[in-house]
Amino acid sequence: MRRYIAKRIVYLVLTLFIITTATFFLMKNLPGTPFDEEKLALLTQEQRDQIYASYGLDKPVIVQYVNYIGNIVQGDLGTSIYYTGQDVKDIIVDRIYPSALVGLQAILLGTVIGLILGVLAAYRHNSGWDYAAMIVSVLGVSIPNFVLAALLQYYIGLKWGILPVAFWESYDSSVLPSIALSVGVIAIIARFVRTEMLEVLQQDYIVTAKAKGLGQMAILSRHAVRNSLIPVITILGPIVVNLLTGSLVIENIFGIPGIGSLFVDSIKTNDYATIMGVTIFYSAFYVVVMLLVDILYSLVDPRIRLGSGRE
Amino acid sequence: MANHTDSLDHLFVPVRQESGEQERISRPALSAFQDSWRRLRQNKAAVISLILLGIMIVLAIVGPWLTKYSYAQTNYSAVYQNPSADHWFGTDKFGRDQWARIWQGTRISLLIAVLAAALDLVVGVAYGAISALKGGKVDNVMQRIIEILIGVPSLIIIILLMMIMKANIFTIMVAMSITGWVGMARLVRAQILKLKQQEFVLAARTLGTSNTQIILKHLIPNTIGMIVINTMFTIPSAIFTEAFLSFIGLGLQSPQASLGVLIHDGFQTLSSHFYLLLFPALVIVIIMVAFNILGDGLRDALDPRMRK
Amino acid sequence: MKKKGSLSLLALMLVFSVVLAACGNNNENASGSSSPSASAGASGSAAPSGKPINLYVENEIKNLSQWAASDDISFTVLNNVSEGLYRLDADNNPQPALAQDVAISDDKLTYTFTLRDGIQWSNGTPITSADFKYAWLGEMNPTTATNGYSFILTDYIVGGAEYAAGTGTADQVAIEAKDDKTLVVTLKQPTPFFLRLTSLVPYFPLNEAFVKSQGDQYGLAADKLIYAGPYVLQSFDIAAGAVLKKNPTYWDNSNVKTDTINLKVIKEQSTALNAYKAGQIDRVTLASSDVDANKSNPEFGTGIKFRTTYLQFNTKAEGLSNVNIRKALSLAFDSNILAATILNNGSSGASGLIPDLMSGDGTKTFRELNGKVIEANIEKAKELWAQGVQELGSAPKLTLLIADTSEVKDVATFLQSEFKNNLGIDVAIDTKTSKARNELMDNNNYQMAVTAWGADYDDAMTYMDLWTNHTPYRGNYESSEYDTLIANAKKETDDAKRTDMLLQAEKLLVDTDAVVAPIYFGGYSFLQKSNVTGLIYHPYGNPVEFKSAVAQ
Repeated sequence: MRRYIAKRIVYLVLTLFIITTATFFLMKNLPGTPFDEEKLALLTQEQRDQIYASYGLDKPVIVQYVNYIGNIVQGDLGTSIYYTGQDVKDIIVDRIYPSALVGLQAILLGTVIGLILGVLAAYRHNSGWDYAAMIVSVLGVSIPNFVLAALLQYYIGLKWGILPVAFWESYDSSVLPSIALSVGVIAIIARFVRTEMLEVLQQDYIVTAKAKGLGQMAILSRHAVRNSLIPVITILGPIVVNLLTGSLVIENIFGIPGIGSLFVDSIKTNDYATIMGVTIFYSAFYVVVMLLVDILYSLVDPRIRLGSGRE
Repeated sequence: MANHTDSLDHLFVPVRQESGEQERISRPALSAFQDSWRRLRQNKAAVISLILLGIMIVLAIVGPWLTKYSYAQTNYSAVYQNPSADHWFGTDKFGRDQWARIWQGTRISLLIAVLAAALDLVVGVAYGAISALKGGKVDNVMQRIIEILIGVPSLIIIILLMMIMKANIFTIMVAMSITGWVGMARLVRAQILKLKQQEFVLAARTLGTSNTQIILKHLIPNTIGMIVINTMFTIPSAIFTEAFLSFIGLGLQSPQASLGVLIHDGFQTLSSHFYLLLFPALVIVIIMVAFNILGDGLRDALDPRMRK
Repeated sequence: MKKKGSLSLLALMLVFSVVLAACGNNNENASGSSSPSASAGASGSAAPSGKPINLYVENEIKNLSQWAASDDISFTVLNNVSEGLYRLDADNNPQPALAQDVAISDDKLTYTFTLRDGIQWSNGTPITSADFKYAWLGEMNPTTATNGYSFILTDYIVGGAEYAAGTGTADQVAIEAKDDKTLVVTLKQPTPFFLRLTSLVPYFPLNEAFVKSQGDQYGLAADKLIYAGPYVLQSFDIAAGAVLKKNPTYWDNSNVKTDTINLKVIKEQSTALNAYKAGQIDRVTLASSDVDANKSNPEFGTGIKFRTTYLQFNTKAEGLSNVNIRKALSLAFDSNILAATILNNGSSGASGLIPDLMSGDGTKTFRELNGKVIEANIEKAKELWAQGVQELGSAPKLTLLIADTSEVKDVATFLQSEFKNNLGIDVAIDTKTSKARNELMDNNNYQMAVTAWGADYDDAMTYMDLWTNHTPYRGNYESSEYDTLIANAKKETDDAKRTDMLLQAEKLLVDTDAVVAPIYFGGYSFLQKSNVTGLIYHPYGNPVEFKSAVAQ
C-alpha cells in the first residue's frame, strides 16, 4: 500500500505539471488582452507595448512559461492584472474559505441525508418511502439549483426573515447556500445508495445473515450499507471537488466572495496569473481527492486490490 | 370394482416420450428481451412513465404546430402576457408565444440529452471497463489522462472552441463531450473493479471465457443498474450545461431556445412573471420523473435476479 | 476495523467543518470588515452624524490605484475617498474643491489654480501642487499608468502627448508647481470643459512620498492609501466590499453628514432587490422586468447616463461596404419600441449619437440643436435596401456580433426581429465573450457589432473624436472631411463655430456616411429608501457623490 501511495504521488506531480503546461499554453491563446481594450485603443502602439512590457507580456510565450514555472517552484504565484497588483496567492487564500465552508456543509448534509433516504428507499422497496425518496431525488436534479437558491433566499431569507438574505457576515450566512447546494448531493447519493442497496439486499450473504438470526439493524449497518458505499465514494470524489471549489451561481446569488466566481471572472478577463493560480489549486485538490478516493476503495472493500494487474 | 378398472385399462396407452422431453420445462421459453419486456409491462409505474414520455415526445414534435404562432415571432404589443386562450403558456419579454417556444425547446433538449447519453454510454462505459479490466499500468495511465482532462479548465477550452467553431448543436456536443463521459467512466471502473474479484468472474475465467465475453456477458449486465442511474443524471446535467454554453455564446443563438435557456430566462423574471419559469420547469421535471421511473423499471426488468 | 473506515471519514469531516466554522467566526470578528460599527469619534466634526448608509456595487472593487483604475466601480470609491481640483455638484457643474479658485488667461490656454489653505492628506501631510504634478505625470507615463486614461491628460496639456510617447521629457510638460499652493497648467487648445475634467479621477493628486513608500503594495489595502476626500476607507475586500468612514482631515468636513457608508458587492440583480427589501441596502437598480411592478412605489425613480449604445458598421466588410445597405439597416428598426417595451427602465430611443441632455451651445442641448439625425423609416429602409442589393448584385448575408451581457443580448434579439419583420432578411447573431468580441473587432473580423460608449465629460467631443483614428474597432472609417471637422473643432476658439463643426460631424457620421446606427441612450430605474437623501448620481464621469448623502 505504501509503495502504491508513493507511486501515486509521483504521478500526482506529473499530472499537475502536464495540466499546468496545457492550461498555460491554452490560456495564452484566449482572445483579447488582460487590459481594458477600449481604453487601450486610445493609446499609441508604443504606449501599448510599454504597458505589455511592464507585465512581462512582451517576451516570447516559452520564456514566460519557463519564468512562470520557476516562480511556482519557489511558491510565487504571480500578481493579478485584473485586481491590479494583488498577490494571487493572497487572493486565492482569501476566497477559499467561504466556498470551502459552504461546500463542506453541503457535502455533509447531502451525504448524510442522501444515505438515509437511499437506505430507507431500498429497504422499503416499492413502498411509499421508496417513491418519496425517488421523487425527492428527481426533483433535486431537475430543478436547477439557482432556482432553489432564489426561492430559499426569497422565502426563508426575505419573507420569513429567519436567515440572512445575502452577504458573508456571520456563520448564518453560510446556511442557505449550503442547503441550496446540498439538494443536488442528496438527490444523487440517495439514488446511488438505493440502487446499490437493492442489489446488495439480494445477495446470498444477506440471506445467510438473516437465516443466522441477525437483526435488521445489524444486517443493515454491518453488511448492507458498507457494501453499498463504493459508488457513493466514486461519486463523492468529483462532487467534493465541485462543491468545495465554489459554485459560481450560488455565490453570485448569495453575494458570497468565494472562489468559484473568482475563477470564471479571471477567465473572462484574461487575468493570466489568477487563471493559472486557481487552476493549479483546483487541479492539485482534484488529484489529491482522487487519490484519497482510491485509497478509500481499498479500505472499504478489501477485495479491491489497487495496483495489482494480474491478468 | 376390480372388474371396472380392468375393463378400462386398455383405453389408456402410455404416451410415447422422446428422451429429451422429460427434461423439458413446461413454461414457454422466452428470450431475454421478451422476458424483460414482459416484466416491464407488469410494472405499472414504468408503463405510465413510458406513456408520459411518449406524450412529451409527441408534443415536442407536434406542439409548435398546434398554435398559429411561431417560436420566433415577436410581438411588441403583447409582451409578458399571462397564459390565456390565445397564448396557452403566455408570452415572454419579446411577445413570443411560450407554448411554441417550450415545445421547440423540448425538441432540442431531448436531442441534446439523447446525444449526451449516447456519448456517455459508448465512450464512458468502454473507457471505464477497459481501465478496470486491464488494471495495473494501463489503469493508472488511463486514470491520469482523466485527471488531466478534468484538471485543465474546460471553460478555457470552450472559449477557445467558440473562436474556432460556429455556434450550433454539433459544437455544443463537442464542448460537452470534452469531459462529459468521465463520470460514467469512473463509475463503471469502480463497479467493475468490485466485480472483477468476485467468484463468478473467476469461474468464467476458469471455464476459458475470453475477456470480451466476460465483459459483455457478465460484467456489463451487472453494471447496468449503475449505468442506467448515471444516465438518468446526465440528462438534466446535459440540458443545463447546454444552457450555460448558450449563455456564453457557444450554442443556441436567438431566436432558438432550449429548455435550459428558457429556464434561465424565466429565472430573471422569477418574482414578476412566474409562469415564464413554471412551464419549462414543469416540462423538465415531468420528463425527468418519467425517465427515472422508466429507468428503474428497466433496471428491474433487465436484472435476471429480480425475476418473479 | 475496516468498517469504521467510512464512518470515521464522515466523523472527520464533521469535526473539520466545525473547526472551520469556529475559525471563520473568529476571522470575521477580528477583521470586522463587514459589520457596520457605530462611529466612535469623528474628531473635529461638529455636525450631527446621520445613520450609516448601505449601498452596493455590481462587481468587485478591482483596484484603488488611480493609475490602474478604469472602471466605474473603482471610480465610485476613489471619487469619494479622494478629490481633485474641482468637484461636480448636483447640477453637474464644477465647484471648487481642493482648489480655491482659478485664473484663466485671456487666450483660454493657461489655468492658474490656487489651492485651499490647510488641506491635508489623511495622514496629516499637506496637499500641495506638487502632488498634482506627480499624479498627472504618472498618469501620462505608460510605465506607471496602465489604465489607458492618459489621453484625458495628453489630449489637452501641452507636452503631454510627447511625454507619453517618450519623445519629450517631464520638464517639457506644461504643468508647473509654482509654489505649494499654486498650480499652473497650459493647454494645447481652448477647452471649455477643462474644469470638469479636473473633477475626474485621473486628475486627482497623489502624494509622492507615500506612494513610493508603499512600493508595489500601494492601493492594495485600506491602509496602503491616504485620502484627500470626504471619506476614508476603513477596510476593503475586493469581493465583499468596502467600508467608508468620514474623513476627519477633510477640508469640508462640516458638510459631510454621514459617518459610515457600507459598500457591498452584489453581482446578481435579484439578490440586490431582495437585500433592498430586507432593508440591508438603501438603494437598488431595477431590472427591466421589475420596473412595471414598482412604478407606483414612492421610492421609485429614474435617471440617465450619457451612454449611447450603437450599432457599429464595419465599412470595409463584405456587404456593408455599400452605404445604402448601412442606411437601410439604420432606418429599419424602431428604437422607441426597444426602449419602452424591452428595456423599460428609463432608457430612450436614440435620435442621434450624442445623448439627450448633453450640452450644446450653452443654452440649448446638442440634441436640440441637431434634431433627429436618425429615425426609423421602414419604407425608406426597404427602398434603400433594394437599391443596395442591386448595387451589390446580391443580398448580403449578415451577422451581428455582440458580447454576452444580458442587456445586449436582448438588444440583438430585438434588432434581429426588426430586420426580419421590416426588411425580410435573416440576420444571424454571434455571441462572444467581451474579450473575444473586442479581439474580433480589433482584427477587422466582423460585419456589424453592438457596442457602447459612455461620456467622460459633458461635451460632444468625448464621442466625436473616437472616429478619427481609422481603426477597425471604429469601423475602418476614413473620411478626410470628418477628420478635418474634428481637428478644426479642437483648435477653434470661437464656441459657436466649434459647436457648429461638431453638429456637422455628427450628421456626417450617422446620417450621410452611416458609419454607426445609434440605438438607445442609457437610462436606469431604481428604488431608494425615502429617508436617504443627498446622493448625487452623475450621468457621466464619476458615477456618484456620497459627500452630501444623509440618512435620517
